[in-house]
Amino acid sequence: MSIKGKTAVVGIGETPTDRLGSKPGEPRKSTAEYLAWAARLAMEDAGLSKKDFEGQGLAAIYTTNHSQPFWPEEVAAILGITPGVSLAGGNGGASSVSLLGHAAAAISAGLCDLVLVIAAASPFGERGGHRGAHADTRDYEMPFGVMGPNCKISFVMSRYMHESGMTEDHFGKIAVTGRYHASLNPGAYLRKPITIDDYKKSRMISDPIRLFDCVMPANGGKAYIMTSAERAKSMRKPPVYLLGWGECNNASFGPRYRANPLITGITHAGKRAFEMSDVAHKDIRCLNLYDDYIPVVMVQIEDLGFCGRNDKTFFEKTDFTFKGDLPIQTSGGMINCGQPSTTGGMLHVIETVRQIRGECGERQVPNIKFGISTGVGAVNYGKNFGCTAAAILGSQS
Amino acid sequence: MAEEKVSKKPLPEITPVNQPFWDGAKAGKLMMQKCASCSTWVFPPRPVCGDCASEKLEWVPVSHKGKIFCFTIIREVVGTALRGFGPDIPYVTAWVDLDDGPRLCSNVIGCPIDQVKIDMPVEVVFEDSGDGITLPKFKPAA
Repeated sequence: MSIKGKTAVVGIGETPTDRLGSKPGEPRKSTAEYLAWAARLAMEDAGLSKKDFEGQGLAAIYTTNHSQPFWPEEVAAILGITPGVSLAGGNGGASSVSLLGHAAAAISAGLCDLVLVIAAASPFGERGGHRGAHADTRDYEMPFGVMGPNCKISFVMSRYMHESGMTEDHFGKIAVTGRYHASLNPGAYLRKPITIDDYKKSRMISDPIRLFDCVMPANGGKAYIMTSAERAKSMRKPPVYLLGWGECNNASFGPRYRANPLITGITHAGKRAFEMSDVAHKDIRCLNLYDDYIPVVMVQIEDLGFCGRNDKTFFEKTDFTFKGDLPIQTSGGMINCGQPSTTGGMLHVIETVRQIRGECGERQVPNIKFGISTGVGAVNYGKNFGCTAAAILGSQS
Repeated sequence: MAEEKVSKKPLPEITPVNQPFWDGAKAGKLMMQKCASCSTWVFPPRPVCGDCASEKLEWVPVSHKGKIFCFTIIREVVGTALRGFGPDIPYVTAWVDLDDGPRLCSNVIGCPIDQVKIDMPVEVVFEDSGDGITLPKFKPAA
Protein backbone atom coordinates (compact mmCIF):
# COMPACT_ATOMS: atom_id res chain seq x y z
CA MET A 1 0.00 0.00 0.00
CA SER A 2 1.29 3.43 -0.89
CA ILE A 3 0.20 6.67 0.73
CA LYS A 4 0.67 8.45 -2.61
CA GLY A 5 -2.14 10.96 -3.15
CA LYS A 6 -4.28 9.46 -0.36
CA THR A 7 -4.16 12.57 1.81
CA ALA A 8 -3.88 16.31 1.49
CA VAL A 9 -2.93 19.34 3.52
CA VAL A 10 -6.11 21.38 3.89
CA GLY A 11 -5.21 23.92 6.53
CA ILE A 12 -2.14 25.93 7.48
CA GLY A 13 -1.57 28.30 10.37
CA GLU A 14 1.44 30.41 11.15
CA THR A 15 1.72 33.03 13.88
CA PRO A 16 4.03 35.95 13.22
CA THR A 17 7.54 35.17 14.44
CA ASP A 18 9.15 37.61 16.82
CA ARG A 19 11.96 37.93 19.32
CA LEU A 20 9.78 39.35 22.08
CA GLY A 21 11.53 39.06 25.39
CA SER A 22 14.97 39.37 23.81
CA LYS A 23 15.27 42.90 25.25
CA PRO A 24 14.31 44.05 28.76
CA GLY A 25 10.71 45.26 28.99
CA GLU A 26 9.50 43.54 25.83
CA PRO A 27 6.32 41.52 26.26
CA ARG A 28 6.67 37.75 26.33
CA LYS A 29 4.35 35.05 25.11
CA SER A 30 4.48 31.46 26.25
CA THR A 31 4.71 28.34 24.10
CA ALA A 32 1.14 27.54 25.17
CA GLU A 33 -0.14 30.85 23.75
CA TYR A 34 1.64 30.29 20.43
CA LEU A 35 0.20 26.76 20.24
CA ALA A 36 -3.36 27.98 20.74
CA TRP A 37 -2.85 30.78 18.23
CA ALA A 38 -1.36 28.52 15.52
CA ALA A 39 -4.11 25.90 16.00
CA ARG A 40 -6.83 28.56 15.64
CA LEU A 41 -5.26 29.93 12.44
CA ALA A 42 -4.96 26.45 10.87
CA MET A 43 -8.54 25.54 11.78
CA GLU A 44 -9.86 28.82 10.36
CA ASP A 45 -7.89 28.22 7.16
CA ALA A 46 -9.45 24.75 6.82
CA GLY A 47 -12.93 25.90 7.81
CA LEU A 48 -12.88 23.59 10.84
CA SER A 49 -13.36 24.12 14.54
CA LYS A 50 -12.03 22.49 17.68
CA LYS A 51 -15.12 20.23 17.83
CA ASP A 52 -14.10 18.60 14.54
CA PHE A 53 -10.94 17.27 16.20
CA GLU A 54 -12.61 15.21 18.92
CA GLY A 55 -11.33 11.65 18.58
CA GLN A 56 -9.11 12.67 15.66
CA GLY A 57 -5.32 12.85 15.31
CA LEU A 58 -2.99 15.24 17.07
CA ALA A 59 0.73 15.32 16.32
CA ALA A 60 2.79 17.50 18.63
CA ILE A 61 6.47 18.20 18.09
CA TYR A 62 8.86 18.17 21.04
CA THR A 63 10.65 21.46 21.36
CA THR A 64 13.66 22.87 23.19
CA ASN A 65 11.91 23.89 26.39
CA HIS A 66 9.26 21.16 26.21
CA SER A 67 10.71 17.70 25.81
CA GLN A 68 9.01 16.09 28.76
CA PRO A 69 7.75 12.60 27.88
CA PHE A 70 4.04 13.49 27.93
CA TRP A 71 4.36 16.61 25.78
CA PRO A 72 1.76 15.46 23.16
CA GLU A 73 -0.79 15.00 26.00
CA GLU A 74 0.12 18.39 27.44
CA VAL A 75 -0.47 19.97 24.01
CA ALA A 76 -3.91 18.28 23.85
CA ALA A 77 -4.66 19.76 27.28
CA ILE A 78 -3.49 23.21 26.17
CA LEU A 79 -5.67 23.05 23.07
CA GLY A 80 -8.59 21.46 24.92
CA ILE A 81 -9.08 18.56 22.53
CA THR A 82 -9.38 14.80 23.09
CA PRO A 83 -7.36 13.05 20.38
CA GLY A 84 -8.16 9.49 19.35
CA VAL A 85 -4.70 9.14 17.81
CA SER A 86 -1.67 10.80 19.37
CA LEU A 87 1.48 11.17 17.28
CA ALA A 88 4.70 12.85 18.35
CA GLY A 89 7.49 14.57 16.48
CA GLY A 90 10.84 13.60 17.95
CA ASN A 91 13.00 14.23 14.90
CA GLY A 92 13.98 17.80 15.73
CA GLY A 93 13.89 20.07 12.69
CA ALA A 94 12.83 17.15 10.47
CA SER A 95 9.67 16.52 12.48
CA SER A 96 7.23 18.62 10.41
CA VAL A 97 8.14 16.79 7.22
CA SER A 98 8.35 13.39 8.95
CA LEU A 99 4.86 13.86 10.35
CA LEU A 100 3.39 14.47 6.88
CA GLY A 101 4.08 10.79 6.23
CA HIS A 102 3.13 9.54 9.68
CA ALA A 103 -0.17 11.45 9.59
CA ALA A 104 -0.88 10.26 6.05
CA ALA A 105 -0.31 6.66 7.17
CA ALA A 106 -2.70 7.05 10.11
CA ILE A 107 -5.39 8.57 7.87
CA SER A 108 -4.88 6.06 5.03
CA ALA A 109 -5.16 3.18 7.50
CA GLY A 110 -8.47 4.54 8.74
CA LEU A 111 -7.31 5.33 12.27
CA CYS A 112 -8.59 8.88 11.92
CA ASP A 113 -9.84 11.33 9.35
CA LEU A 114 -8.04 14.50 10.41
CA VAL A 115 -4.61 15.16 11.90
CA LEU A 116 -3.52 18.47 13.37
CA VAL A 117 0.27 18.73 13.28
CA ILE A 118 1.49 21.48 15.55
CA ALA A 119 4.58 23.02 17.11
CA ALA A 120 5.50 26.19 18.93
CA ALA A 121 8.40 27.56 20.90
CA SER A 122 9.20 30.65 22.86
CA PRO A 123 12.95 30.65 23.47
CA PHE A 124 12.92 34.37 24.30
CA GLY A 125 9.66 34.22 26.21
CA GLU A 126 10.38 31.53 28.74
CA ARG A 127 13.30 29.87 30.42
CA GLY A 128 13.92 26.50 31.91
CA GLY A 129 12.40 23.21 30.96
CA HIS A 130 14.27 20.13 29.91
CA ARG A 131 17.43 20.72 27.94
CA GLY A 132 19.16 17.35 27.81
CA ALA A 133 22.05 16.82 25.43
CA HIS A 134 22.71 13.80 23.24
CA ALA A 135 25.25 11.62 25.11
CA ASP A 136 27.81 11.94 22.28
CA THR A 137 27.54 15.73 22.48
CA ARG A 138 27.74 15.77 26.28
CA ASP A 139 30.74 13.42 26.51
CA TYR A 140 32.72 13.98 23.31
CA GLU A 141 31.92 17.47 22.01
CA MET A 142 31.05 19.86 24.85
CA PRO A 143 34.23 19.08 26.85
CA PHE A 144 36.21 20.25 23.81
CA GLY A 145 34.25 23.48 23.50
CA VAL A 146 32.14 22.49 20.48
CA MET A 147 29.85 25.50 20.40
CA GLY A 148 26.61 23.84 19.27
CA PRO A 149 25.32 23.64 15.70
CA ASN A 150 27.30 26.70 14.51
CA CYS A 151 30.47 24.77 15.18
CA LYS A 152 29.22 21.41 13.92
CA ILE A 153 28.04 22.80 10.59
CA SER A 154 31.32 24.70 10.32
CA PHE A 155 33.07 21.32 10.27
CA VAL A 156 30.88 20.26 7.34
CA MET A 157 31.24 23.58 5.51
CA SER A 158 35.02 23.59 5.99
CA ARG A 159 35.26 20.18 4.35
CA TYR A 160 32.72 21.14 1.66
CA MET A 161 34.82 24.14 0.62
CA HIS A 162 37.97 21.99 0.67
CA GLU A 163 36.50 19.28 -1.58
CA SER A 164 34.34 21.38 -3.93
CA GLY A 165 36.46 24.50 -4.22
CA MET A 166 33.36 26.59 -3.57
CA THR A 167 34.01 30.04 -2.19
CA GLU A 168 32.11 32.70 -0.27
CA ASP A 169 30.60 33.82 -3.60
CA HIS A 170 28.76 30.52 -3.93
CA PHE A 171 27.38 30.61 -0.38
CA GLY A 172 26.67 34.33 -0.66
CA LYS A 173 24.51 33.82 -3.74
CA ILE A 174 22.20 31.49 -1.81
CA ALA A 175 22.03 33.95 1.12
CA VAL A 176 21.19 36.85 -1.22
CA THR A 177 18.47 34.82 -2.98
CA GLY A 178 16.84 33.89 0.33
CA ARG A 179 16.83 37.48 1.53
CA TYR A 180 15.41 38.65 -1.81
CA HIS A 181 12.47 36.28 -1.36
CA ALA A 182 12.09 37.44 2.25
CA SER A 183 11.84 41.02 0.99
CA LEU A 184 8.73 39.90 -0.97
CA ASN A 185 7.23 37.98 1.96
CA PRO A 186 5.27 40.14 4.43
CA GLY A 187 5.60 37.34 7.01
CA ALA A 188 9.41 37.29 6.98
CA TYR A 189 11.39 38.80 9.83
CA LEU A 190 14.52 40.02 8.00
CA ARG A 191 13.32 41.82 4.85
CA LYS A 192 16.04 44.28 3.83
CA PRO A 193 17.77 42.98 0.68
CA ILE A 194 21.49 42.17 0.97
CA THR A 195 24.36 41.85 -1.50
CA ILE A 196 27.09 39.24 -1.75
CA ASP A 197 29.41 41.88 -0.35
CA ASP A 198 27.15 42.25 2.72
CA TYR A 199 27.38 38.48 3.16
CA LYS A 200 31.18 38.54 2.95
CA LYS A 201 31.35 41.35 5.48
CA SER A 202 29.02 39.68 7.98
CA ARG A 203 30.64 38.67 11.26
CA MET A 204 32.67 35.45 11.37
CA ILE A 205 31.12 33.20 14.03
CA SER A 206 32.92 29.89 13.63
CA ASP A 207 35.11 29.79 10.51
CA PRO A 208 33.92 29.47 7.81
CA ILE A 209 30.37 30.09 9.15
CA ARG A 210 29.41 33.77 9.09
CA LEU A 211 26.42 35.48 10.68
CA PHE A 212 24.53 35.49 7.35
CA ASP A 213 24.96 31.70 7.08
CA CYS A 214 23.04 31.18 10.30
CA VAL A 215 19.41 30.79 11.20
CA MET A 216 18.03 33.15 13.81
CA PRO A 217 16.17 31.89 16.91
CA ALA A 218 12.66 33.33 17.28
CA ASN A 219 9.37 32.78 19.06
CA GLY A 220 6.34 31.48 17.21
CA GLY A 221 3.90 28.70 16.44
CA LYS A 222 2.92 26.82 13.28
CA ALA A 223 0.38 24.15 12.41
CA TYR A 224 -1.05 22.25 9.47
CA ILE A 225 -4.07 19.99 9.04
CA MET A 226 -4.26 16.86 6.91
CA THR A 227 -7.25 14.83 5.83
CA SER A 228 -8.15 12.12 3.34
CA ALA A 229 -8.10 13.01 -0.36
CA GLU A 230 -11.83 12.35 -0.44
CA ARG A 231 -12.73 14.69 2.42
CA ALA A 232 -10.23 17.26 1.16
CA LYS A 233 -12.40 17.95 -1.89
CA SER A 234 -15.12 19.53 0.24
CA MET A 235 -12.84 21.76 2.32
CA ARG A 236 -12.56 25.53 2.10
CA LYS A 237 -9.17 25.75 0.33
CA PRO A 238 -7.84 23.78 -2.67
CA PRO A 239 -6.24 20.54 -1.41
CA VAL A 240 -2.48 20.14 -1.64
CA TYR A 241 -1.83 16.42 -1.92
CA LEU A 242 1.02 14.47 -0.38
CA LEU A 243 2.38 12.60 -3.41
CA GLY A 244 5.73 11.35 -2.24
CA TRP A 245 7.44 11.02 1.09
CA GLY A 246 10.57 9.54 2.60
CA GLU A 247 12.43 9.61 5.88
CA CYS A 248 15.92 8.47 6.85
CA ASN A 249 17.49 8.55 10.29
CA ASN A 250 21.01 7.81 11.51
CA ALA A 251 22.39 7.53 7.97
CA SER A 252 26.09 6.99 7.29
CA PHE A 253 27.77 7.23 3.95
CA GLY A 254 31.03 5.35 4.21
CA PRO A 255 32.09 3.68 7.48
CA ARG A 256 30.11 4.83 10.53
CA TYR A 257 33.30 5.72 12.35
CA ARG A 258 34.53 7.94 9.51
CA ALA A 259 31.50 8.89 7.41
CA ASN A 260 31.36 11.35 4.52
CA PRO A 261 29.62 14.40 6.03
CA LEU A 262 28.88 15.92 2.61
CA ILE A 263 26.15 13.38 1.82
CA THR A 264 23.06 13.34 4.06
CA GLY A 265 20.09 11.06 4.63
CA ILE A 266 18.13 13.39 2.33
CA THR A 267 19.71 11.30 -0.45
CA HIS A 268 17.66 8.27 0.67
CA ALA A 269 14.58 10.19 1.84
CA GLY A 270 14.43 12.21 -1.40
CA LYS A 271 14.87 9.12 -3.59
CA ARG A 272 11.95 7.41 -1.84
CA ALA A 273 9.80 10.53 -2.20
CA PHE A 274 10.55 10.83 -5.93
CA GLU A 275 9.93 7.11 -6.53
CA MET A 276 6.61 7.19 -4.67
CA SER A 277 5.36 10.31 -6.43
CA ASP A 278 6.40 9.56 -10.03
CA VAL A 279 7.03 13.31 -10.32
CA ALA A 280 10.05 14.23 -12.45
CA HIS A 281 12.72 16.60 -11.19
CA LYS A 282 11.93 19.04 -13.99
CA ASP A 283 8.33 19.35 -12.79
CA ILE A 284 9.32 20.40 -9.27
CA ARG A 285 9.05 24.17 -9.39
CA CYS A 286 9.78 25.01 -5.80
CA LEU A 287 12.33 23.66 -3.32
CA ASN A 288 11.78 24.65 0.29
CA LEU A 289 14.79 23.10 1.99
CA TYR A 290 15.58 23.03 5.66
CA ASP A 291 17.97 25.90 6.20
CA ASP A 292 19.59 26.10 9.57
CA TYR A 293 22.69 27.13 7.59
CA ILE A 294 23.38 28.14 3.99
CA PRO A 295 25.71 25.18 3.17
CA VAL A 296 22.97 22.79 4.37
CA VAL A 297 20.70 24.09 1.58
CA MET A 298 23.40 23.47 -1.01
CA VAL A 299 24.24 19.95 0.13
CA GLN A 300 20.54 19.04 -0.04
CA ILE A 301 20.22 20.31 -3.63
CA GLU A 302 23.00 17.82 -4.44
CA ASP A 303 21.43 15.07 -2.29
CA LEU A 304 18.09 15.42 -4.08
CA GLY A 305 19.77 14.96 -7.43
CA PHE A 306 19.13 18.42 -8.89
CA CYS A 307 22.86 18.60 -9.66
CA GLY A 308 25.99 16.52 -9.23
CA ARG A 309 28.28 16.48 -6.20
CA ASN A 310 30.41 19.59 -5.70
CA ASP A 311 28.89 21.06 -8.88
CA LYS A 312 30.27 24.58 -8.66
CA THR A 313 29.18 25.49 -12.16
CA PHE A 314 25.56 24.55 -11.45
CA PHE A 315 25.49 26.86 -8.44
CA GLU A 316 27.04 29.65 -10.51
CA LYS A 317 24.69 29.34 -13.49
CA THR A 318 21.32 28.55 -11.91
CA ASP A 319 18.80 31.30 -11.19
CA PHE A 320 17.32 30.24 -7.84
CA THR A 321 14.79 33.08 -7.60
CA PHE A 322 11.03 32.50 -7.74
CA LYS A 323 10.94 33.42 -11.45
CA GLY A 324 14.12 31.49 -12.23
CA ASP A 325 15.29 28.03 -13.32
CA LEU A 326 14.97 26.34 -9.93
CA PRO A 327 13.20 28.43 -7.28
CA ILE A 328 14.45 27.70 -3.77
CA GLN A 329 13.60 29.10 -0.32
CA THR A 330 10.70 31.14 -1.72
CA SER A 331 9.58 32.26 1.76
CA GLY A 332 13.08 33.52 2.52
CA GLY A 333 13.63 30.38 4.58
CA MET A 334 14.07 30.06 8.31
CA ILE A 335 17.25 32.09 8.00
CA ASN A 336 15.08 35.13 7.28
CA CYS A 337 11.77 34.10 8.86
CA GLY A 338 13.23 32.91 12.17
CA GLN A 339 13.49 29.51 13.82
CA PRO A 340 11.24 28.89 16.81
CA SER A 341 13.19 25.76 17.79
CA THR A 342 11.79 22.61 16.14
CA THR A 343 8.78 24.60 14.91
CA GLY A 344 10.98 26.37 12.37
CA GLY A 345 11.04 23.58 9.81
CA MET A 346 7.26 23.70 9.39
CA LEU A 347 7.81 26.93 7.46
CA HIS A 348 8.96 24.80 4.53
CA VAL A 349 5.78 22.68 4.51
CA ILE A 350 3.55 25.75 4.81
CA GLU A 351 5.40 27.65 2.06
CA THR A 352 5.10 24.79 -0.44
CA VAL A 353 1.36 24.55 0.34
CA ARG A 354 0.98 28.31 -0.19
CA GLN A 355 2.90 28.24 -3.47
CA ILE A 356 0.81 25.37 -4.83
CA ARG A 357 -2.39 27.14 -3.77
CA GLY A 358 -1.16 30.30 -5.50
CA GLU A 359 -1.29 32.42 -2.34
CA CYS A 360 2.23 33.85 -2.47
CA GLY A 361 1.57 37.28 -3.98
CA GLU A 362 4.72 39.03 -5.15
CA ARG A 363 6.88 35.93 -4.71
CA GLN A 364 4.46 33.52 -6.40
CA VAL A 365 6.19 30.92 -8.59
CA PRO A 366 4.37 30.89 -11.96
CA ASN A 367 2.67 27.70 -13.20
CA ILE A 368 3.57 25.58 -10.22
CA LYS A 369 2.01 22.15 -9.74
CA PHE A 370 4.62 20.38 -7.62
CA GLY A 371 7.03 21.36 -4.88
CA ILE A 372 9.34 19.64 -2.43
CA SER A 373 9.91 20.34 1.26
CA THR A 374 12.63 18.88 3.42
CA GLY A 375 13.50 18.74 7.09
CA VAL A 376 16.69 17.82 8.90
CA GLY A 377 17.45 17.54 12.57
CA ALA A 378 20.34 16.88 14.95
CA VAL A 379 23.97 16.92 13.85
CA ASN A 380 25.48 13.52 14.63
CA TYR A 381 29.00 13.09 15.98
CA GLY A 382 31.59 13.16 13.24
CA LYS A 383 29.09 13.19 10.38
CA ASN A 384 25.92 15.16 9.63
CA PHE A 385 22.20 15.00 10.20
CA GLY A 386 20.67 12.32 12.39
CA CYS A 387 17.14 12.90 11.10
CA THR A 388 16.09 13.69 7.54
CA ALA A 389 12.78 13.73 5.67
CA ALA A 390 11.52 14.86 2.26
CA ALA A 391 8.00 15.33 0.90
CA ILE A 392 6.65 16.06 -2.57
CA LEU A 393 3.39 17.99 -2.59
CA GLY A 394 1.15 18.75 -5.55
CA SER A 395 -2.11 20.23 -6.74
CA GLN A 396 -3.37 16.95 -8.23
CA SER A 397 -3.66 13.54 -6.56
CA MET B 1 24.64 17.18 49.32
CA ALA B 2 28.29 18.12 49.28
CA GLU B 3 29.08 21.42 47.69
CA GLU B 4 29.85 20.83 44.06
CA LYS B 5 33.23 21.81 42.80
CA VAL B 6 32.79 24.62 40.32
CA SER B 7 34.06 23.62 36.90
CA LYS B 8 33.08 26.13 34.29
CA LYS B 9 33.92 23.83 31.40
CA PRO B 10 31.55 20.89 30.99
CA LEU B 11 33.07 17.46 31.51
CA PRO B 12 31.98 14.08 30.16
CA GLU B 13 29.68 11.89 32.20
CA ILE B 14 31.53 8.66 32.90
CA THR B 15 29.26 5.70 32.18
CA PRO B 16 29.88 1.93 32.14
CA VAL B 17 29.89 2.16 28.33
CA ASN B 18 32.53 4.89 27.98
CA GLN B 19 34.68 4.39 31.08
CA PRO B 20 37.57 2.51 29.37
CA PHE B 21 38.07 5.48 27.03
CA TRP B 22 38.47 7.92 29.92
CA ASP B 23 40.53 5.49 32.03
CA GLY B 24 42.81 5.08 29.02
CA ALA B 25 43.20 8.83 28.56
CA LYS B 26 44.16 9.21 32.21
CA ALA B 27 46.84 6.54 31.68
CA GLY B 28 48.12 8.29 28.53
CA LYS B 29 46.60 5.84 26.07
CA LEU B 30 43.94 6.36 23.42
CA MET B 31 41.56 3.40 23.74
CA MET B 32 38.65 2.68 21.41
CA GLN B 33 36.16 -0.07 20.70
CA LYS B 34 36.63 -2.54 17.87
CA CYS B 35 33.99 -5.09 16.93
CA ALA B 36 35.28 -8.64 17.44
CA SER B 37 32.71 -9.93 14.95
CA CYS B 38 33.08 -7.59 11.96
CA SER B 39 36.31 -5.71 12.85
CA THR B 40 34.87 -2.23 12.38
CA TRP B 41 35.78 0.62 14.71
CA VAL B 42 33.03 1.89 17.00
CA PHE B 43 33.25 5.44 18.30
CA PRO B 44 31.77 7.17 20.32
CA PRO B 45 31.44 4.15 22.62
CA ARG B 46 28.34 1.97 22.23
CA PRO B 47 26.91 -1.16 23.86
CA VAL B 48 26.52 -2.82 20.43
CA CYS B 49 28.25 -2.57 17.08
CA GLY B 50 26.50 -0.04 14.82
CA ASP B 51 27.20 -2.18 11.77
CA CYS B 52 26.55 -5.81 12.75
CA ALA B 53 24.80 -5.37 16.15
CA SER B 54 27.30 -7.69 17.84
CA GLU B 55 27.81 -7.14 21.56
CA LYS B 56 31.39 -8.41 21.29
CA LEU B 57 33.15 -5.08 21.37
CA GLU B 58 36.78 -5.05 22.50
CA TRP B 59 38.72 -2.10 23.84
CA VAL B 60 41.99 -1.77 21.96
CA PRO B 61 44.71 0.90 21.81
CA VAL B 62 44.52 3.04 18.71
CA SER B 63 47.13 5.16 16.92
CA HIS B 64 48.05 8.43 18.59
CA LYS B 65 48.63 9.97 15.19
CA GLY B 66 46.19 11.19 12.58
CA LYS B 67 45.35 14.05 10.31
CA ILE B 68 42.86 16.88 10.34
CA PHE B 69 39.74 16.07 8.30
CA CYS B 70 38.17 19.49 8.88
CA PHE B 71 38.17 22.18 11.53
CA THR B 72 36.66 25.42 12.72
CA ILE B 73 37.87 28.38 14.72
CA ILE B 74 35.48 29.20 17.55
CA ARG B 75 35.08 32.96 17.77
CA GLU B 76 32.00 33.36 19.97
CA VAL B 77 30.42 31.74 23.01
CA VAL B 78 26.83 30.67 22.33
CA GLY B 79 24.50 30.02 25.24
CA THR B 80 25.49 29.52 28.87
CA ALA B 81 26.66 25.90 29.14
CA LEU B 82 30.00 26.59 27.45
CA ARG B 83 30.82 30.04 28.77
CA GLY B 84 33.86 28.56 30.54
CA PHE B 85 35.51 28.51 27.12
CA GLY B 86 35.23 32.30 26.79
CA PRO B 87 38.83 33.02 27.85
CA ASP B 88 40.15 30.47 25.28
CA ILE B 89 38.57 32.22 22.27
CA PRO B 90 39.67 32.05 19.51
CA TYR B 91 40.46 28.32 19.57
CA VAL B 92 40.38 25.41 17.14
CA THR B 93 38.07 22.41 17.25
CA ALA B 94 38.64 19.75 14.63
CA TRP B 95 37.68 16.33 13.40
CA VAL B 96 40.82 14.22 13.42
CA ASP B 97 40.95 10.99 11.43
CA LEU B 98 43.29 8.69 13.34
CA ASP B 99 45.76 6.60 11.33
CA ASP B 100 44.09 3.18 11.16
CA GLY B 101 41.30 4.28 13.45
CA PRO B 102 38.10 6.27 13.78
CA ARG B 103 37.36 9.99 13.64
CA LEU B 104 37.60 11.97 16.86
CA CYS B 105 36.40 15.48 17.68
CA SER B 106 38.91 17.44 19.72
CA ASN B 107 41.02 20.58 19.90
CA VAL B 108 44.18 21.43 18.00
CA ILE B 109 46.61 23.17 20.34
CA GLY B 110 50.28 24.03 20.40
CA CYS B 111 50.37 26.05 17.19
CA PRO B 112 49.00 29.41 15.98
CA ILE B 113 45.41 29.08 14.76
CA ASP B 114 46.24 30.42 11.31
CA GLN B 115 48.64 27.51 10.76
CA VAL B 116 45.95 24.85 11.18
CA LYS B 117 45.10 23.25 7.82
CA ILE B 118 42.99 20.37 6.52
CA ASP B 119 45.11 17.19 6.07
CA MET B 120 47.73 18.47 8.56
CA PRO B 121 49.37 15.56 10.48
CA VAL B 122 48.72 15.74 14.22
CA GLU B 123 49.42 13.66 17.32
CA VAL B 124 47.68 13.22 20.65
CA VAL B 125 48.63 15.25 23.67
CA PHE B 126 46.85 14.42 26.93
CA GLU B 127 45.61 17.39 28.93
CA ASP B 128 44.63 17.10 32.59
CA SER B 129 41.46 19.11 33.15
CA GLY B 130 42.22 19.33 36.89
CA ASP B 131 38.84 17.74 37.63
CA GLY B 132 39.80 14.09 37.45
CA ILE B 133 39.34 13.88 33.68
CA THR B 134 42.10 13.79 31.08
CA LEU B 135 41.16 15.09 27.64
CA PRO B 136 42.94 13.83 24.51
CA LYS B 137 43.85 16.85 22.39
CA PHE B 138 46.05 17.21 19.32
CA LYS B 139 49.17 19.13 18.36
CA PRO B 140 51.09 19.26 15.08
CA ALA B 141 52.96 15.96 14.60
CA ALA B 142 56.66 16.09 15.40
